[in-house]
Amino acid sequence: MTLQDLLDPLIAALLLAGVYAAMSAGMTIVYGVMKIVNLAHAGVMMLGAYFAYELFERFHLDPLVSAVLALPVFFAFGMAVHWLLVRWLPRSDQPTLSSLLLMFGFWLVLQNVASLIWKNEDRSINTSYTLTSWHFGDIAISKVRLAVFIAAVLSIVILQIGLKRSWFGKSIRAVIQNPYAAQIVGVDYDRTARLTFGLGTAFSGFAGVLLSMLYSFSPDFGRPFLLRSFVIIVLGGLESFSGVALGALVLALVETWSIQIPGVEASYQPAISYGLLVVVLLVLPKGIAGLLERRWRTG
Amino acid sequence: MNLPSTIKRLLPFLVLLVFFLLPSAGASTDVIRLLFTTFVWTITSVSWNLVGGFTGQTSFGFAVFYGLGAYTAGLMINAGYNPYFAFPAAAAVGLLASFLVGLPAFRLRGPYFAIATIGLTEAVRVIMSNLKITGGASGLSIVEHRVFQQTEHYYSALLALAMAVGISMLIADSRFGLALRAIRQDEDAAADIGVNPYMGKLWIHGIAAALTGIAGALHARYAVFVDPGGGPGGVFAFQTGISILLMPVIGGIGTIWGPVLGGAIFGIVEEELVVRFPSVHLLLYGILLILIILLEPDGLVGLLRKIFRRSSWKFSQSKA
Amino acid sequence: MRSLLHVCIPRWMRFSLALTAAVCLCSSALYAAAQDTISIGVVLPTSGREGKPGQYQKEGIELAIKKINDAGGVNVKGKKYQLKEVFYDDGSDSAKSVALTERAMSSDKVTAVIGGYSTALGEAEAVMPDRYQTPWITCGAGATSIFAHGYQYVFGTLSPVSVIGSTTAEFLGGLVDQGKLKKGLKIAMAVENTDHGIDYVNGIQQWIGKHPGYFSVVFNEKFELGSTDFSGLLQKVKSSRADIFLSDAHLQDYIVMHRQYLQSGMHHQMISYGARGPEADARKALGDGVNYIFSGIWWSSKLPYPQVKQFLADYKQFTGHDPDSWYAATAYDGLRILAAAITQAGSTDKTKIRDALRKVSLTDSLLPGGVLKFESNGQAGYPFVIVQNQPGGKVELVYPKSAATAAPIAPVP
Repeated sequence: MTLQDLLDPLIAALLLAGVYAAMSAGMTIVYGVMKIVNLAHAGVMMLGAYFAYELFERFHLDPLVSAVLALPVFFAFGMAVHWLLVRWLPRSDQPTLSSLLLMFGFWLVLQNVASLIWKNEDRSINTSYTLTSWHFGDIAISKVRLAVFIAAVLSIVILQIGLKRSWFGKSIRAVIQNPYAAQIVGVDYDRTARLTFGLGTAFSGFAGVLLSMLYSFSPDFGRPFLLRSFVIIVLGGLESFSGVALGALVLALVETWSIQIPGVEASYQPAISYGLLVVVLLVLPKGIAGLLERRWRTG
Repeated sequence: MNLPSTIKRLLPFLVLLVFFLLPSAGASTDVIRLLFTTFVWTITSVSWNLVGGFTGQTSFGFAVFYGLGAYTAGLMINAGYNPYFAFPAAAAVGLLASFLVGLPAFRLRGPYFAIATIGLTEAVRVIMSNLKITGGASGLSIVEHRVFQQTEHYYSALLALAMAVGISMLIADSRFGLALRAIRQDEDAAADIGVNPYMGKLWIHGIAAALTGIAGALHARYAVFVDPGGGPGGVFAFQTGISILLMPVIGGIGTIWGPVLGGAIFGIVEEELVVRFPSVHLLLYGILLILIILLEPDGLVGLLRKIFRRSSWKFSQSKA
Repeated sequence: MRSLLHVCIPRWMRFSLALTAAVCLCSSALYAAAQDTISIGVVLPTSGREGKPGQYQKEGIELAIKKINDAGGVNVKGKKYQLKEVFYDDGSDSAKSVALTERAMSSDKVTAVIGGYSTALGEAEAVMPDRYQTPWITCGAGATSIFAHGYQYVFGTLSPVSVIGSTTAEFLGGLVDQGKLKKGLKIAMAVENTDHGIDYVNGIQQWIGKHPGYFSVVFNEKFELGSTDFSGLLQKVKSSRADIFLSDAHLQDYIVMHRQYLQSGMHHQMISYGARGPEADARKALGDGVNYIFSGIWWSSKLPYPQVKQFLADYKQFTGHDPDSWYAATAYDGLRILAAAITQAGSTDKTKIRDALRKVSLTDSLLPGGVLKFESNGQAGYPFVIVQNQPGGKVELVYPKSAATAAPIAPVP
């Protein structure tokens, strides 16, 4: 093994981690506030990808611009979904099976409406910089991967700062910590939940646009990323964005490095991330909530 | 004993008798095939309901047991065993696998268990499609040195379904069934009154997995081919796990006849929907699922019951 | 909604009829086949992952049916029969493709079924023909395993995939002989983990075994079909420092993998994705990135036969677009050889047609060699052609030399 053989996967993992973090952020915030495991996350990412595709095909709009546009559009979409479906769910401080199944049904609807509109074939976005890369000696860095990485990291930093500073951000954090106490001090739970769902959906759509720059996509797009999002948010402890970033990095490193081990065939790669999901869930004996409790008690 | 309740008690046996006589009454090959498929799906639906309905543990992972049952039957038949040994073997493998899944996973509650089962199905699928013994991603061809007799398959599926429904009825009326319902309503409270939620979940999961394994074996023996499922249609495909979950939820979870109704609708309507509207059938299921969760959590059986009750109430009112 | 009622009710009625049959012991054959038509079942994916190639195959079959019907129909002992297509879309779902094949054979009482695009669906369907003693021809599954079970009613118009491997190696060997490539180059292979991929690797390794000194294989691994990310696999290919990269993939996987190949700045002296390469979808997704990829395929529109020219004109008129890679041609000939077999059998009896399929040969075939017939195991065996994507959006036939329309560009600049 040369230095290059070590550096290449490392860079690849790092760039991958950025996207992974961005795609898990939306799910984390929705879970944190509403305790909903949002399976429709995969469907929204898929819609985000087609959103970028349509803008690119019709107006030759760069997907990076579409990513910014996706935020308000999917925010509104998320609010609408909340108004139409989510608000009817009984409120709970524990994740419920009905919320899981409801979001799953909604995912099925999104997926199949998309396959009616766009047919069940793969699409991809091919910009002028999609297939080119910068060469630093022997090491090649894909331009589009770098662009996506920067966009992802920027978005997470902005989100983190925004949540720290704004009144809305403070109310979100208050609800995450203790929904009852938050209401006592004057936080409107329903409004916070609605805005949170909008924000989470906006981020899922944004992540979908970023993913569309890297991969080709079909209406079934999103399922493998949904599972990876699970791994990441479970690894990261669910409610903090720094945790998400850490989880994303761990997953990306494991995925990229595990199949570099001689004797491990590349065809096993998907099993590794899915297996990791199960292992991570089990290592935390009481599941995610257990870890959360521990976190609050210690910090 | 009054007349309506006697009829109600006898009805399942009457239906069974009708299905039993159907092949000799000259039903076409196609009807028999469709009913066979429906029976196999209904077995999985009834099994899932034991865990998802009675005990309240949503699993996306039943495709694992279905697939393992299919492979067990396939490998045993290929090794020259009588297919009727393959069915109990498939059940045993399903049971064993359920412990492997359940022992760790039932330490998780509710949605975490559900998420873990998604990861598990995908992991098992990838592993099975890369093993040499299972024929890899190309699937496993099954060679049975007997003449294909469609009615034989039909009767074995009918028998297995009757067994599954019987088990489900027995459990519902037993102390064990009560304990399971207690677990569904409140695990901690159930533990307080002396129920061991962990063991309860483990055992019911095992029974359900064994039945699902038999369903997989029935399917494999009929199709003479097991596809692990990189795409939809494979035994370990994500879609398979979802179908198994959708049937009882649509029919009405936690009831005896809801999953049967769901399975029957799924089995009979599914193919027609696929043929006529290849891209819409899952959309319909999605919409149905949303409506059921939001409006009628007891599914179609709950809906029917409400309609029945309301009409009989009106009826008695008008009589008075 | 209207259509839903219209189409669903007969089925429901049949079902409830069957139930009443149990009581009154009467059965009815509702679908009596009309006297002067022969119905052919067609089970292909026109939606789902394999929707695009499946659609092309369907077009090829329908074109052949139209041409035969326009010419009066299939001649059976002097009587002309019109062909009727019974089409089912299996949505790229293996379980559904089996159910629908069985449905076509048992319920629609078709004379034969054409179907099974892609090896996985073909392997699943291949069980039914013998069970219902109905001839079945696949025009899209070329793995030898399908034909190794000893099935009696199974036929395929695709030459064995292993021959792609050996043809590919032979083509590369020829380039070495011409001095375009150096001797002793290292090959990296990454193939799909199905029988298709295994056959491909076997073909290449057999050739290398017989011709020592030409190439050495330094990397040989399989990947999971339908993966979203191949960067780890490509990383390993990169680390193997191979000179030639050979892959065997489905259309979607080819596009996904090659996109990441280009993004990671990789370069090899020659590159191939097996039987995939010249598809319009790939050029749309990757632009000039697909240049120089060569592929061993069952048919190319560049073949210099008059019947190919005729087919190209007919196909364009029928569908409004040019044939995309080989898909339509093998299906077109699949239906034509079936029609020829029915004529030769002089009967619509399915077993007689099966016997005729074993002997018949289509002498104006579009496929390489110009003659299509089935070997004793049911699979066709004709040579492959190799095409290469060349700059300017061109796809040129580069091998065999006798039919070549351009010289291969090697090594990749």
